[in-house]
Amino acid sequence: MKLRAFALMALTGFATLQPARAAQDAFQLPPYAHAYEPQTVDERGQWMEADERERQIRDCPLRIREGNLETYLRAVLCREVGQDRCAGVRVYAMEIPKFNASMMANGAMDVWSGLLLRVRNEAELAAVLGHEFAHFELRHGLNRFKTQRGTSDAMAWISVLGGISNTPVGSANLSLLGSVYRFGRDQESQADLLGLKYLANSGYPAGSASLVWQSLMAEEDASALGRKQKPKQKYTAGFFDSHPASFERAARLAQEAAKLPAGGDARAKEFQEAVAPYLPRFLTAQVKLNDFGGSEYILSNLSQRSGWTGDLLFARAELHRARATPRDLQLASQFYRDAKGAGYSNPDLDRNLGLSLLRNGQTEEGRAALSSYLTAYPDASDAKAINALLAN
Amino acid sequence: MRYAFMIAVIVGASSSACLANALISPGPHAAIAQSRLSATPDGQWNRLSRRDGKNVELWTLDGDSLNKVTFFGGIPVGKPLLREIDKNNRPLPKVMSNMLITDIPALLESTYRSQFSVNQIQIETQEPALLDGNKGIRFTYAFTRADDEVLRKGEGIGAMVGGQLYLVTYEAPSLYFFEKDLEKFHKLITTLKL
Repeated sequence: MKLRAFALMALTGFATLQPARAAQDAFQLPPYAHAYEPQTVDERGQWMEADERERQIRDCPLRIREGNLETYLRAVLCREVGQDRCAGVRVYAMEIPKFNASMMANGAMDVWSGLLLRVRNEAELAAVLGHEFAHFELRHGLNRFKTQRGTSDAMAWISVLGGISNTPVGSANLSLLGSVYRFGRDQESQADLLGLKYLANSGYPAGSASLVWQSLMAEEDASALGRKQKPKQKYTAGFFDSHPASFERAARLAQEAAKLPAGGDARAKEFQEAVAPYLPRFLTAQVKLNDFGGSEYILSNLSQRSGWTGDLLFARAELHRARATPRDLQLASQFYRDAKGAGYSNPDLDRNLGLSLLRNGQTEEGRAALSSYLTAYPDASDAKAINALLAN
Repeated sequence: MRYAFMIAVIVGASSSACLANALISPGPHAAIAQSRLSATPDGQWNRLSRRDGKNVELWTLDGDSLNKVTFFGGIPVGKPLLREIDKNNRPLPKVMSNMLITDIPALLESTYRSQFSVNQIQIETQEPALLDGNKGIRFTYAFTRADDEVLRKGEGIGAMVGGQLYLVTYEAPSLYFFEKDLEKFHKLITTLKL
């Protein structure tokens, strides 16, 4: 941790010594063609696959169709890369509680809910979207595609092996297909640099990109500690790693960002408002992933942005109730009550508070909470089971 | 010669009972999922050779993606429902001694979210039930796995007995299959004995 902080400071400090180079190539973005059509056999094939995959994503039950989330995400991308560049882009929001966003060769981008739960403001979101857009603009997918036709063979083999061992291979197929869009280390570095230029060009603070990686590293360490493992961060990139090690990446992003104009508002408030309607379900999904350390890190991260709101306190209580040591159950009851004090009004709160108390042996208090749940919600789908607990 | 030997080994291995799927004939069957769980089906089922965990047994009629009965036979405290695919990065939640009946469906949900990347799952009805005289819970649920995106419905009955979790679930695609065999599952669980 100390080593990391020191190296970051050293690198950024070094970078600020040479501000003269800053302005020269900062705003030179690569040329682009509007309504581009694929040119070669390889590219046409790749677009065909991308079109098919986009169709799957468009119709996927995990897509978040309600509300204005996708419109908002697209607006952030457009704000960052410019209206003319983003005119042909489609953005799909997917309810998958992992940190990811990707962009296909045909201009379709998918953004996972786990990313929206982790970034702290619009600038950090824009940093990730801009990075993915840079891969698209530099046509990295195509170069990779040409050198990686072997992937298709691997897919065929996995289908056969899956048939024998009867393990579901659907997700493996998807992830292999994803590997067509996974890029080499040098391509990642190029996309990082171009992404930074988009950030700086649009007035977001260019330092946001580095902050995203630092936060991800901290979360992985928290997750490992929560599972009683050693922190996993590697501080150099391994030979076979396609992405530069997070540490190296964070340091280099900070270094490059220091050469660019500092940028203005990170638009934390706008981001918070856009995500607020979806936050409770994103939190529920995260809390049920059985990752105590990582989830706790995310919650404390969110609380720094908005303070401990009712939603966050409720999620924190759920996290402790799921781990369910006596200490956890006691804390859970406390957090449920705090959540109620902070304005959380869903009747689920009384039920879960009651269950937590009951599990901790505080029978009378537990029964009182469960009774008030049933009073507020007599036709609940679990009313019969709750009644049985009350009768015991 | 060497090939003949290898073929003999392969044929021998695949014909041994532990590797083959087996027909479950009508009548009593004991020691299901290597536990003291027993059942008396009145029709034929197939037992899959695949084991998703030490005390897990799978029965099906048309294949486990179309209709699947899973027996979790006496999962002890501190153990997960299924064998963990990636212990370090995706550990599964464990059975705990102080679980309430409503924690049984919650355990199944959390397990599915980690193990099968199930991002959409709803526990629907929950009501008290007896599993061979032991106080437990009967519940229904609906979920979509990330690999095939088929909406499946499920029903389960479970109880903590002597510090071990006994749970039997039935899952099938909500379209056509779930209703088709639900009655057979209902009949099957009335015959469960511990």
